[in-house]
Amino acid sequence: MLDIKDLHATIGGNEILRGLSLAVGAGEVHAIMGPNGSGKSTLAQVIAGHEDYEVTAGSVQFEGHDLLELAPEERAREGIFLGFQYPVEIPGVNNAYLLKAAVNAKRQHEGKDEIDAFEFLKLAREKMAALGMDPKFLNRGVNEGFSGGEKKRNEILQMAMLEPKLAVLDETDSGLDIDALKAVAEGVNALRSPDRAIVLVTHYQRLLDYVEPDHVHVLSEGRIVRSGDKSLALELEEKGYEWVREAANA
Amino acid sequence: MMPELPVDRLAAVAAALPHESLAGFREAGRTALARHGLPTTRVEDWKYTDLADAAELSRAWLAAGAPVDAPDAERIREAQGRFDAHWLVIANGALLEDYSDALSLPGVGVVAAADELSAPRDALGGLNAALVRDPIRVRVTEPLAKPLALLVADSAATSAGTAQVRVALAVDSGASVQVFEQQVSSGDHGHYSNVLVELDLAANSGCDYVRLQQRATGHSQTARLNVRLDRDARFHYFGADLGGQLSRHDLAINIAGRGASATLNGVYVAGPGQHVDNHTRTDHRFGPASSRQEYRGILAGRARAVWNGKAIVHAGADGTDAEQANHNLLLTEQAEVDAKPELEIYADDVKCAHGTTVGHLDERALYYLRTRGIGRQRARRILTRAFAATVVDTAPIEALREVIGEAVEARLRDITAEIGA
Repeated sequence: MLDIKDLHATIGGNEILRGLSLAVGAGEVHAIMGPNGSGKSTLAQVIAGHEDYEVTAGSVQFEGHDLLELAPEERAREGIFLGFQYPVEIPGVNNAYLLKAAVNAKRQHEGKDEIDAFEFLKLAREKMAALGMDPKFLNRGVNEGFSGGEKKRNEILQMAMLEPKLAVLDETDSGLDIDALKAVAEGVNALRSPDRAIVLVTHYQRLLDYVEPDHVHVLSEGRIVRSGDKSLALELEEKGYEWVREAANA
Repeated sequence: MMPELPVDRLAAVAAALPHESLAGFREAGRTALARHGLPTTRVEDWKYTDLADAAELSRAWLAAGAPVDAPDAERIREAQGRFDAHWLVIANGALLEDYSDALSLPGVGVVAAADELSAPRDALGGLNAALVRDPIRVRVTEPLAKPLALLVADSAATSAGTAQVRVALAVDSGASVQVFEQQVSSGDHGHYSNVLVELDLAANSGCDYVRLQQRATGHSQTARLNVRLDRDARFHYFGADLGGQLSRHDLAINIAGRGASATLNGVYVAGPGQHVDNHTRTDHRFGPASSRQEYRGILAGRARAVWNGKAIVHAGADGTDAEQANHNLLLTEQAEVDAKPELEIYADDVKCAHGTTVGHLDERALYYLRTRGIGRQRARRILTRAFAATVVDTAPIEALREVIGEAVEARLRDITAEIGA
């Protein structure tokens, strides 16, 4: 589904990704781990299409097409979802409006009619209930005054409504208490299916207790230095990132 | 040079106006105008807003024998269809009785005696007094079934014109009223209007006031709203300036009693060639009392906005709580804003805060919306509308929020089409 080859990316002239390769197949859950500054968030942003990052070499293919040619909105309509590490507050735009606009943008792209207002509300309420979110959040400004946990749940709500083919979740677990972490993990697990792929970008192993990855990759200095199964995450937790750095340099 | 308005011409036009009992008042207007002279940009309060074109239009109009265009009935009916209220309609300075059902309410009528009006204090007040045709008074003693709507609907379809509008509102102790002031105009000729509304709020009375200015492109207006709040009176204001080539609004709040509170919010939208100026002045003469203000502006193309918020806390007005904010969103680089809060504090125990910002759309928010499948242009529109919505949603008369929201949106659509964004 997602095929990244020898990806180099810079921001403001600094090279962050330095030859990263990664293949994610349908139905798979990948965890990307690594210390701060290793390029985890850059990878997530380059997949989503952030224009501040410049791809200087390499390729990213999504379902056999060149992803890098597409604007962020086109990538989203093709089925890519980025869960933000720091979801943006947008006062004056209510959550329901954003959700509906996002769902309809995708439906329009797929040649479908706009979602029926009643059906939309029913669906949104269902998904919110599953995430333990108060339906009142629908009428609040997007992320406006939300706590850290509420913001992350809101990201998962958007993901649940959009049903992406590929979800990239950037540090969705950071700053969450255990209840929020479980709710977020349940939201992610509910999305797991043979025709979807999920990439979890995370600093800690904690989320992986609840969402079991098929593959774990360790990122260091802009490259994947080790890949393995879920046991790699545990090993990493035990030995720390220094161990990976040493292994990579050896 | 500021064109002069000849006194003999003003007198000749005044002599032909109805309500002869106001002759002395109109003469006092001519005297005040001659004494003060229309403000030039050398006057601090008018530094950025040049009335020379409006004065020239007035001079030429007087010289042409002060022609009065027929009312634009279609525009009036359209406005009346949008909101359920008791209406007072004034077109080119004349009260239209056929459209003004509010005249049947007790306490509503045309002023017949000069002593019911306050004497002109400055040049624009003088101009207003000199040429006002049908000054209106409203005295609210008990609750009205519906809001009171004042529609100023000017037209300049066959000739250029000017209009003076004068309204004196008084709300008795313990009573309250909702007021909607709407200003529209139509026609391809030039037009200048000068509106003066005075509102007196007695002890423990209240007023929700929404003002919507949608004048035609090319038309100009100066308008003033003076509000006096007695003890425990409440004033909740929202103003929207969307139209006109030149628009100046002066809002003066006089806190004349303890426990009074005033909320003064507004929005302005200006596109290429538009100049919009909002001056507010709050005099805190008694405390404790509070005033809260937030104006938001959206500008595109060669637009110019002025916001000047002055708060004066007089000696002895302890316990004053005053807050002022002005935020501006520039959609293009050519737009210009002059935003200036002014605080003068002569009391000890006060809480005052102010802040102004001028900025562009939040790139992070734009990107966030785009990652949700929303195209760049649409995302820009959503964020622009949201910037205004946060303050439009504070408008006091709930039924008008949609009216204002739609008007703001329509104006933004026109402007973005004009600048090709």
